[in-house]
Amino acid sequence: MKHATIEKNAALMSILVLIMVAIGGLVEIVPLFFIESTIETVQGIRPYTPLELKGRDLYIREGCYNCHSQMIRPFRDEVERYGHYSLAAESKYDHPFQWGSKRTGPDLARVGGKYSSLWHQEHMRRPRNVVPESVMPDYPWLEENALDYDDIADRMTAMSRIGVPYSEEMIKNAIADLKAQATPDSDTDGLNTRYGNKVPLDDFDGQPKRITELDAMVAYLQMLGTLVDFSSYQAQAR
Amino acid sequence: MADNKKETVKETVETTGHQWDDDEGYPLKEYNNPLPRWWLYTFYATIVWSVIYWILYPAWPLVNDYTRGVLGWSQYSQLEEELAEAREMQKVWDDKLATLSLEQISNDNTLLQYAISGGKAVFGDNCAPCHGSGGVGSHAKGFPALVDDDWLFGGTLADIEESVQNGRTGTMPAHEEKYDGALNAQQVDVLTDYVLSLSGLGHDAQKAVAGKELFEGEAACVVCHGDSGKGSLKDVAFGDPIDRSVGAPDLTDAIWLYGGDRTTIRTSIAKGRTGKMPAWGEGFSGFGRKLDPLSIKEVTLYVHSLGGGR
Amino acid sequence: MDGASATQQETYDYDVVRKFTIAAVIYGLVGFLIGDLLAWQLTYPDLNFSSPYLSFGRIRPLHTSAVIFAFGGSVMFATSYYVVQRTCKARLFSDALSKFTFWGWNLVVVAVVVTYPLGLTQAKEYAEPIWPIDVLVTLVWVAYFINFVGTLAKRKEPHIYVANWFYLAFIITVAMLHIVNNLQIPVNWTDSYSVFSGVQDAMIQWWYAHNAVGFFLTAGFLGLMYYFVPKQAERPVYSYRLSIVHFWAIIFLYIWAGPHHLHYTALPDWASTLGATFSIMLLLPSWGGMINGIMTLSGAWHKLRTDPILRFLVISLSFYGMSTFEGPMMSIKSVNALSHYTDWTVGHVHSGALGWVAMVSFGAIYHLVPRLWNTSIHSVGLINLHFWLSTIGIVLYIAAMWISGIMQGLMWRAYDQYGNLTYSFAETVEAMHPYYFVRSVGGVLFILGSLVMIYNLTKTIRKGHPV
Repeated sequence: MKHATIEKNAALMSILVLIMVAIGGLVEIVPLFFIESTIETVQGIRPYTPLELKGRDLYIREGCYNCHSQMIRPFRDEVERYGHYSLAAESKYDHPFQWGSKRTGPDLARVGGKYSSLWHQEHMRRPRNVVPESVMPDYPWLEENALDYDDIADRMTAMSRIGVPYSEEMIKNAIADLKAQATPDSDTDGLNTRYGNKVPLDDFDGQPKRITELDAMVAYLQMLGTLVDFSSYQAQAR
Repeated sequence: MADNKKETVKETVETTGHQWDDDEGYPLKEYNNPLPRWWLYTFYATIVWSVIYWILYPAWPLVNDYTRGVLGWSQYSQLEEELAEAREMQKVWDDKLATLSLEQISNDNTLLQYAISGGKAVFGDNCAPCHGSGGVGSHAKGFPALVDDDWLFGGTLADIEESVQNGRTGTMPAHEEKYDGALNAQQVDVLTDYVLSLSGLGHDAQKAVAGKELFEGEAACVVCHGDSGKGSLKDVAFGDPIDRSVGAPDLTDAIWLYGGDRTTIRTSIAKGRTGKMPAWGEGFSGFGRKLDPLSIKEVTLYVHSLGGGR
Repeated sequence: MDGASATQQETYDYDVVRKFTIAAVIYGLVGFLIGDLLAWQLTYPDLNFSSPYLSFGRIRPLHTSAVIFAFGGSVMFATSYYVVQRTCKARLFSDALSKFTFWGWNLVVVAVVVTYPLGLTQAKEYAEPIWPIDVLVTLVWVAYFINFVGTLAKRKEPHIYVANWFYLAFIITVAMLHIVNNLQIPVNWTDSYSVFSGVQDAMIQWWYAHNAVGFFLTAGFLGLMYYFVPKQAERPVYSYRLSIVHFWAIIFLYIWAGPHHLHYTALPDWASTLGATFSIMLLLPSWGGMINGIMTLSGAWHKLRTDPILRFLVISLSFYGMSTFEGPMMSIKSVNALSHYTDWTVGHVHSGALGWVAMVSFGAIYHLVPRLWNTSIHSVGLINLHFWLSTIGIVLYIAAMWISGIMQGLMWRAYDQYGNLTYSFAETVEAMHPYYFVRSVGGVLFILGSLVMIYNLTKTIRKGHPV
């Protein structure tokens, strides 16, 4: 076929262009859904609790991914600084993924449990109060705004439709579980039965009588990277 | 994508004969110069380079697997090598660090320097966010400086190691009725005056007398802060030593964890305070542990070296 | 001329071109201003003003969307509509579709400006608009495709000019990328979740985002280049055959390069290898455009002394050549290990976006405006001033980001004599401060240049009248 033929036929050129640009994506994307070793088999990965899911929504709303990665690369300096490198399995319920592309701030893949909730409260209110070198914006509105959790069941239902294993019981008890996680000394048996007994429980925002956006945000941050027991994890050939 | 070969390469290249946009300005035409040689050969070279790369490294997806490459390389095997090399380099020190006690290490200057270097690295990313760079403390309230010799839970090597390993919780209960405490507002006021008086700050002497009575009596402050308010480490309660793990601060030394003005002290008494140092070892709240035993030793020695270690 | 008489019955639709040109100039300024505010925020974080609506995380996407889609998109619409009409000797396929694309696209921009500061986002980089806006984008894009191909179909020239090949590839590929990457499950009218998760979502996102660069900012703007460079230089395109080879090579190879954004992550090694190797193979096809552009000027170099428009076009090709060299280098795994997550990437993007996309657009706009309003430019001297302000601004920007990026990458992996990490993360942030300042100043110069352009164009348009 002479190029002149293509050059004289807009429809033909359109079709050939589409074929040419489709190939690369098909070869790189489709196998990721079929090659089993793509996502490791590990114990401990669970869906986000209702409070954590709300927190993750806020993390997205505030655009935290613009400055923070959640992806520890397999380099000596990164595993020494942040902990075990990130597994694909650890973000398998992340719709969308939050690996990030720029570290203006540090990686957050394993920030869970590192700092007290009191620190997170101070830090969100005014980061430079605790880290003078920080260039992070202040987020004072998080502790002021009451958390709007009326739609939490809808959110979990949507997630369950795209493959996150939220059971009917989890969705039914969503609001109760959400409140229990942010209220110390409350009855957390149901929450623990549904999501395991390593769920972080705290008055995350330092305001015992309210559930604010800060509760959700800190609850999310406090669980990041804490699900897999790496003392028994064996690297898997991928 | 056959090339249009009609034009032959000549010394003086002519245009393809096509012309566009000729109703205004210069009409668009095209020469048909050959592909620059250096361009073409460099392009071929990048293709050859890629093919070699595909043979050596994991590259092409298959049905339920992918080509592994003849080198047997993976990004995780690369990490293993990097870490093995690092461990090899640090082995001389790490072996000793693992077997010797904290006291023994601090008596071996070379080893101590090594441990402090490691501890500083651990501290910078994990501890400094609360305790400040170099442990100088924080602008925010509730995060103790580590460079002075005022300790809440003890500044010996063993105390510090315990703090890092299992974390600490310092709980000051709420005392005012409206925060579910047992005292009324007036009582909280007089207690505040007494606490102010302990470190010589401006106070109402008469109220402070009433406050002292509460401090030692109904409010039971002495149980944790001690008979003379010098805190759980230094003081005694009714003559008996106080449990060190309570972490009740010395109220007489003018060093304040949450602030030493009247309003803040009153708030501390009325609403209470909860300070939490996360556990970094066995007691870590997720699975596994955040820091390995060697790192905990190193950071303990580093913190001890900051100036206030006992 | 014969050609002129052939178009007598039918006049070109310059109205939509004029509208998009004005939109491009305004959106460009807005995008640059937000960008520079972000730069100052990183230098002095109190400039976030503790306000949710001005917070870095919410307005950084506003900057990227404003410059890529509002500014870049308007430039694409304006120039493709202009070029396709002139090179086909045919009026745009449908006036209704032309109007729909203009008002539709502007509605998209307004919706984005309203929703991002409110925190409504899909959190996919360069694809942040919420799902109802995505639907509108799709409609506008389909209309654009029909309008463009319809115009090609009624052309009065036998051959489709090379600029249109690139515009066509850009329109088709962006449609494909946009639809796949925005597959969402809605929760309500504003919120939704990506149907993909984790590693697959990451791969699809960077397949999209890399090719937003590849097809929006590269292929599309090469289309622009293939018209405005020969037209302004008054020289034939250097090599038709190079056009063919590099066109097909670039569109085939570019698509594969996405995984180089995910080196050393939980993406499997094989995908990462494909991303790296295809990026390397992409280098020469990318350079094909630069060669064709620069060599077109050979024999007309003297014009650079007197024609600042040509100067914009030439320097844009130089930045294009530089960043399409830098890109493949940064996609080599060992280089990427250092550069990824640092400001080096930011610098690279801006050498492409400011140096190539914005500069070539400025050249095209200066060429277009006098012709669209049937007049001559108000001041050639001011074009020259714009040129130098922009160029110096870009150089400051890129140099600052190279230093800070490489420095930060090296500090993250620095070890002391005992083999322990030397710097805490916070110390590396502190070290960036002076370079962030220089970058912000570079941005100010670039904005000043834009203001000069707006003044010059306003004066030009005032004395002209629409043809």
